[in-house]
Amino acid sequence: MIKIENLGKRVMTSEGELVILKGVSLEVEEAETVAIIGASGSGKSTLLGLMAGLDTASSGEVILDGHRLSTLDEEQRAVLRGQLVGFVFQSFQLLPSLTALENVMLPIELKNDSQAREKATALLERVGLGARSHHYPNQLSGGEQQRVAIARAFASEARILFADEPTGNLDSATGARVIELLFSLNKEYATTLVLVTHDERLARQCHRTVRLVAGEIVSDERHGDSEPALAEAHDEH
Amino acid sequence: MSTDVQEVAAQAEAASPRTVTVKPLTLSTLLRLSLRLLWRDWQGGELRLLFLALVMAVTSVTGIALFTDRLEQALLAESANMLAADRVLSGRGEAPAEWLDEARSLGLQTAETLAFGSMVFSDNGNMLVSAKAVSDAYPLRGQLLVAERAFGAGVPIDGGPPAGEVWVESRVLPALDADIGDILYVGNAELRVTRVIVQEPDRQQGGMMENAGPRLMLNTADVPATEVIQVGSRVSYRYLFAGDASALETYAEWLSTRTNGEFRLRDVRDESSEVADALNRAESFLLLGSLFAVLLAGVAIALTARRYSERHFDYVAILKTLGCTSGQIMTLYMSIQAVLVLIAIVLGSFLGWGIHVLILRALAAVIAVDLPPAGFSPYVVGSMTAVICLLSFALPPLLSLRRTSPLRVLRKDLDDNTLGARLPYGVGIAGSLVLMLWYSRDVVITSVLVLAVAGVVLLLSGLSWLLLRSGNSVGMKAGSAWKLAMSATRRRRKQNVLQILVFSLTIMCLLILTLLRTDLIRDWQAQLPENTPNHFLMNVTEGQIPGIEAFFRSHGVEPNQFFPMMSVGVTRINGEEPRPQWMDDDEQSNVTERSAGGGEAGEQEVGEDGRPRRVSNRQVTWTNRLPNDNEVVAGQWWDENPQVGYVSLEDDYAERLGAKLGDIIEFDVGQGRLIEAEVQSLRSVRWDNMQPNFFIIFSPGTLDGLGGTYLSTALMAQEKKVMINDLLREFPTIVVIEIDALIEQIQNIIAQVTSAIELIAALVLVCGALVLLACVTATLDERFRENAILRTLGAGRKLILSSLLIEFASIGLMAGIIATLGAEGCLYYLQTEVFQQDFTLHYWAWLAGPLIGMLLIGLLGLLATRRVVNTSPLTVLRHIG
Repeated sequence: MIKIENLGKRVMTSEGELVILKGVSLEVEEAETVAIIGASGSGKSTLLGLMAGLDTASSGEVILDGHRLSTLDEEQRAVLRGQLVGFVFQSFQLLPSLTALENVMLPIELKNDSQAREKATALLERVGLGARSHHYPNQLSGGEQQRVAIARAFASEARILFADEPTGNLDSATGARVIELLFSLNKEYATTLVLVTHDERLARQCHRTVRLVAGEIVSDERHGDSEPALAEAHDEH
Repeated sequence: MSTDVQEVAAQAEAASPRTVTVKPLTLSTLLRLSLRLLWRDWQGGELRLLFLALVMAVTSVTGIALFTDRLEQALLAESANMLAADRVLSGRGEAPAEWLDEARSLGLQTAETLAFGSMVFSDNGNMLVSAKAVSDAYPLRGQLLVAERAFGAGVPIDGGPPAGEVWVESRVLPALDADIGDILYVGNAELRVTRVIVQEPDRQQGGMMENAGPRLMLNTADVPATEVIQVGSRVSYRYLFAGDASALETYAEWLSTRTNGEFRLRDVRDESSEVADALNRAESFLLLGSLFAVLLAGVAIALTARRYSERHFDYVAILKTLGCTSGQIMTLYMSIQAVLVLIAIVLGSFLGWGIHVLILRALAAVIAVDLPPAGFSPYVVGSMTAVICLLSFALPPLLSLRRTSPLRVLRKDLDDNTLGARLPYGVGIAGSLVLMLWYSRDVVITSVLVLAVAGVVLLLSGLSWLLLRSGNSVGMKAGSAWKLAMSATRRRRKQNVLQILVFSLTIMCLLILTLLRTDLIRDWQAQLPENTPNHFLMNVTEGQIPGIEAFFRSHGVEPNQFFPMMSVGVTRINGEEPRPQWMDDDEQSNVTERSAGGGEAGEQEVGEDGRPRRVSNRQVTWTNRLPNDNEVVAGQWWDENPQVGYVSLEDDYAERLGAKLGDIIEFDVGQGRLIEAEVQSLRSVRWDNMQPNFFIIFSPGTLDGLGGTYLSTALMAQEKKVMINDLLREFPTIVVIEIDALIEQIQNIIAQVTSAIELIAALVLVCGALVLLACVTATLDERFRENAILRTLGAGRKLILSSLLIEFASIGLMAGIIATLGAEGCLYYLQTEVFQQDFTLHYWAWLAGPLIGMLLIGLLGLLATRRVVNTSPLTVLRHIG
């Protein structure tokens, strides 16, 4: 589903060139859940941004569902994101001037789907926020906002879900409930999930954990207890 | 590359290539999304200021354009009343019939008048009257007011007297001991007096000598029967034209090649320099006011659009992660702007119409004429202003939105955009220039504004250099409000320099308009104060002066200074002939010269030496007292016991003549007699004060024994005018020129113009306040965040409020100083070049400008940011993110 070849990212700073990622190669199968783990500044969010086509690499290649991102311009990458990718962010990234329902409706509407309201309402019910669909983001708690963000991510019927520190802004109990919801929906929709986190326990809930140190992959570990899910997914594939 | 990866890549290459196609959003989806965002942004307050700025732009420009359009028509109509026509052709003889035929063929209305002095007799008495014969179509503009009895209230009437009748001014009837219905004898014609003239639109037109004496009006059909017009009679022929402006222009062009200098076609501006001056200045002021309104509205739009865009960077980044393309995002935002501008145009046009109606209602008392309905063009001007403002000020920041990186969702620290930094200013400046030029069609005023703005920017560059030089501040220095404010000012120096620029420009516009308004009104009030004498007494002999003074005192009228007067011509300066060009220059002809028929172009005479010698006769006087509204600009005015043989010249006249202090000028004082006088002083003279003014004043004694008569003025109220009959009965040789109607008309026009500029100034003030508010709001987010953090860390309300007040007040102070400097520079140019005023520094503004800046910005800033301390820090931090 996602193939990364020798990916590199360098930026120029006032103190010279800064290498954020160097020679990263990775392959993620369809319906696989992968955690990218590392300390702050290890390049994990940059890697996520490159995989999702939010940024362009300095070298190497990202192939997303057969699309070589380097051959696409920003416009084409945006379309690809709309068709293929969903996001869950640490800071939720809901549009503050839209209600919870409207936030979830947005990606459906962008696909010219006339059933936007019905689908969004069903998703909000599914994440347990049916009663709060007309609230604005600043009227919701952090956990509720993240649940809206998860509903929005699945609303686009994305096949790949990128989650950047989804529990980073939440307390552990709320975080646990959000993760439970995320994994449950992910399983339900058979989505490929790439999750950036520094939380080892959260990472262990994924099929694989890829560890980044200073922009390089230092380990790629498959978790035994997750194998059935992965195998199941592979079989289905 | 590892083998595994190469295989993966090869597999990917081998796989059927996938294509990405952009599916355009359907119109209904786009509209739904746009309207939803628009509505939500409106509810959230994001769009309110931008919308308000757009509405203000349309309202102020449409309102001013409508008002100016109709006021100008009203002023022209009011002014045309002074001529009783749009254009008047005047001459000493009859105009060829084909000239009038041509006018009629162009669709112009025509009428004719003949003016001449004549004796009129009744069965009981006689008097000298200013007779005026009018054709049936008279007057073409304005109305005659007539009464059924002497000194009765006037009612409007169409047309003049029919054949066989005469109408007279009230005081004629008691002077002739006659009444309505009696027969009057004008020459050999017997005409019945049927009405009393209360007001005549063009009463003061023509040579003032023709207007000496009260009016008697008859029909042109009766003129032959009077037999008073003989060869050599002094008759003034006036042909009146009215109609479409373009037809009038065509006619003027056609006529210009035919008149040969014997006839002159004039409009009210040529006819009355006082009115022309008031009209020109008012037009320039209204134009300037409108330009300021446009400029300020543009700045407000730029600021609010920029803030709107800044607040939408995250928004766009999220939309992009959800798959929105740049094109779709632009379509979305452009739709929002289009809807916004459309609503603003509709609302602004309506409000603009309302404002102009309110203004006109307020002016109903002074605008005496019915206003023609406004055209459609003011609405187009207002709408175009909004569109151009939006395109030049709001589009660039919006365009920069499309370049927002979707990566912002992961990294907030990403630079907002690179385009947004400079391009908006460039496009905005270009847009303003186009808008101002298109709107004003006046390169001079636009250039002044551009130069002023450039000057302020230059000053600001210096200021920012100073600020940058002051070095970086370490920490927030939160120990005291003062230090906190100063460190905040330095930390935000880039934004502050921009804020000071906007504040300076706004305060500068407001200062210019306020100071100009004050100076204009003061000038007009000084020109024709309440007690301006409204009658001229001429042809007075020296022996009559004590009697006339006594007469006035006994009738409760204060006598004024008597000026001796005679006609002289300059023949040589320091033994040389004067410059030839000065002779043709009679544009300074004033009420004195007009009264006496002076200021005429040079004639040629032959001197004693047989050479042709140019002379130009001027009415001159001699006095040891410097007349009112005269100021010595060079040399010295003679003292109480002046020596004989000196002369004082008006400074412009001296320049045209080529004479300077100490020159010896030879004058022809009549009958070939020559005298010499030395130029002892040069004077500036206020020509538009409707008082006796002289180019040349001699020291007393210089012209002794050369004859001459005296000139004086008197202020006589309408109800006392009948005393003129007694005055003329007692002193039959003097001539009384009545200019009360003219003064009243000019005062009326000036009152209208004054009210108009007051209202325009007020409207621009509102625009200015909006800009100030927009500018203060523009930096709110950062202040909110910073102060919320400070409060979280334990800073008290008082500290934060005081620091905000100090920060805004110091920004306001700097803006006030720069604005005052810019305003004075601008005013110097505007007053000397555009408004033809004398420039003096406005000392009080040097105190008021900085003070107003400090107080206004300080209070506005505090009001706008008071929520910082009234909202919980958590709410602020959560809201701003």
